[in-house]
Amino acid sequence: MNITWRGFSGFVFVAALAFAAACGPKGGAGAIRLGVAGPMTGDQAAFGEEVLYGASLAAEEWNERGGVLGKRIKIVKRDDQAKPDQATQAAYELVSEGVAGVIGHFNSGCTIPASEVYHQNNVPMLTPSATNPDITDRKYANIFRVCGRDDDQGRTAAEYAVKTLKVKKVAVLHDRTPYGAGLTDQFKRNIEKSLGAKAIVYYDGFDDKEKFFDPYLQEIKKKDPDLLYFGGIYHQAGPLTVKARELGLRAAVMFGDGVINEQYIESAKEAAEGAYVTFGPDPEKIPAAKGFLEKYRKTYQKPAGAYSIYAYEAANILLASIARAKGTDGKAVSEEIRRSPHESSIGTIRFDGKGDIQGSYYVMWQVRNGKFAALQ
Amino acid sequence: MTQALVNGLTLGAVYALVALGYSMVYGILGMINFAHGEIYMLGAFHGILALAFAQHYLANFSPVVCLLGALVLAMLFCGGYGFTLERIAYRPLRHAPVLSPLISAIGMSFLLQNYVMVAQGSGIRGFPMEFGRRLTETRFSAFAGAEFSLLEVFILATSLLCMAGLHLYIYRSKMGKAMRATSQDRRMASLLGVDVDRVISATFIAGSALAAVAGVMVSMYVHAVKFNDGYIMGMKAFTAAVLGGIGNIPGAMLGGVLLGVVENIGIWFLGAGYKDAYSFIVLLLVLIVLPRGILGEQVSDKV
Repeated sequence: MNITWRGFSGFVFVAALAFAAACGPKGGAGAIRLGVAGPMTGDQAAFGEEVLYGASLAAEEWNERGGVLGKRIKIVKRDDQAKPDQATQAAYELVSEGVAGVIGHFNSGCTIPASEVYHQNNVPMLTPSATNPDITDRKYANIFRVCGRDDDQGRTAAEYAVKTLKVKKVAVLHDRTPYGAGLTDQFKRNIEKSLGAKAIVYYDGFDDKEKFFDPYLQEIKKKDPDLLYFGGIYHQAGPLTVKARELGLRAAVMFGDGVINEQYIESAKEAAEGAYVTFGPDPEKIPAAKGFLEKYRKTYQKPAGAYSIYAYEAANILLASIARAKGTDGKAVSEEIRRSPHESSIGTIRFDGKGDIQGSYYVMWQVRNGKFAALQ
Repeated sequence: MTQALVNGLTLGAVYALVALGYSMVYGILGMINFAHGEIYMLGAFHGILALAFAQHYLANFSPVVCLLGALVLAMLFCGGYGFTLERIAYRPLRHAPVLSPLISAIGMSFLLQNYVMVAQGSGIRGFPMEFGRRLTETRFSAFAGAEFSLLEVFILATSLLCMAGLHLYIYRSKMGKAMRATSQDRRMASLLGVDVDRVISATFIAGSALAAVAGVMVSMYVHAVKFNDGYIMGMKAFTAAVLGGIGNIPGAMLGGVLLGVVENIGIWFLGAGYKDAYSFIVLLLVLIVLPRGILGEQVSDKV
């Protein structure tokens, strides 16, 4: 009797499993999983959100057209909180979830360690935003970026400062992350090349959680520079700008692409006016991007963030490559990503041997009347 | 150097205000209230919300009145938070092993952080500067090229005023006397007719109100507040409390000011690279020589 009972309960268990498995395909087992990783919470949550929304919109569009290879696309989101250790954790989780590819991570400091995980497991990764040169300089076959590089960005910023703003003395601050320190290093090198080492009157970095900027700005004010360049993210750039103006610093301020978010203007208010930011070309001026921008606004009830369209196109490239590779094998998909020119709403995208996009990328933006506006 | 001193004093006064909350609770309950940093952050948020309200509905009032009103409101709210915190998270664990209230404190810290994140969003919130403009724009130059603003004077003066008020409260009022008695021997105090639960509640309310003042003033000073700001300030203030001798009230004030000055002189002298290391090096050195903190000796038997 005892044995029969155990046998019966075993049968029920197996039956339940089989039932669950039968329900699976609709629930997602037969779907193609697309990983999206970035700072979904924490200081930079606004960036994480715009990347997630951009990639989700691409997945939705593919699903409306019947999916990829007859399968639905399912977004698997992971939060790295903009912290390198969380990023590796997220990467391992995404790999064990069996994602066909990853859109992310957002920050260079997260992308570098996470890409090692994707590389070992042969999962294609496209970052819409991480600009540190090291990401692609390692020449991993499955690591790509749909954005510029900091050597390019630093040079663009330095050239603009020297040629257009005609600065003589420059103060440089960074947030000691691979992104912030790497970018200011490139900027500094280019300034020194054209103006000499003496043109850099101040160079220092503080923690990326720092809030008290007085000591640095007071020292900078004494040097009376023409330009203050900060390599960091909007959550520090906003209060930093306000403080600089409050202390009576007359220098122009310039930032990298980590500041291009509404939150910068919201927190710095009128002090943000006139601030320079380097970023990619303005999608509002590209006719092909109009459809995406409108759809985004309609779907999420807010205008697209600066990185949304890059996440969207990165997801499109990945999904199209899966379709062409006729499977989700990481190696074949990576080859497809690298091989073909990809038509996109931000122009034709071609990857070079390293996984960077070809051609020049950065243009200067400025805050005008409370909005980021591209100057070219 | 003078500039580093001015910055250090301003920052140190704020550290001291928050450190007082840690020290008072430790002095009476012998536990570390790790959710205290969150109370500071809540203070900043309530101050900003009150000012945003004033901006819309009380536009004709003078900015100074609004600012003081916001300060008082933040103090009231945070007093309430401190009271509730003790009531729901610590009082049921009064006789539990030492570790339980500590875990409960960490849990409350997460809870309060996420509560603010859900209610106010995870982005930065700017301080409505209309109210602080006169304070930040009035600037004085001191000797040796140093410069400070009326806001820094305001922060320093308010902090000193609060500390003086606390001192009077503890050494002149009846409740203060009961607090001192409870911190010396909780059971004896209760045998002599002191309502220990009320004393503990009063301690939490007073400490939280001071943290609220610090929160409002810092958010005005740095122009922004975020849901996770309490963590770092909590750590710094806790360090200050240990530095001065935890459980000791003048010690917390001294520790806070010392910490602020050391940090800023370190930056001025050695650069920003190891800012957080300077304070911890000083903490290490002090604890090697005086294991109970600078003014900690007398309290050692109390708790």
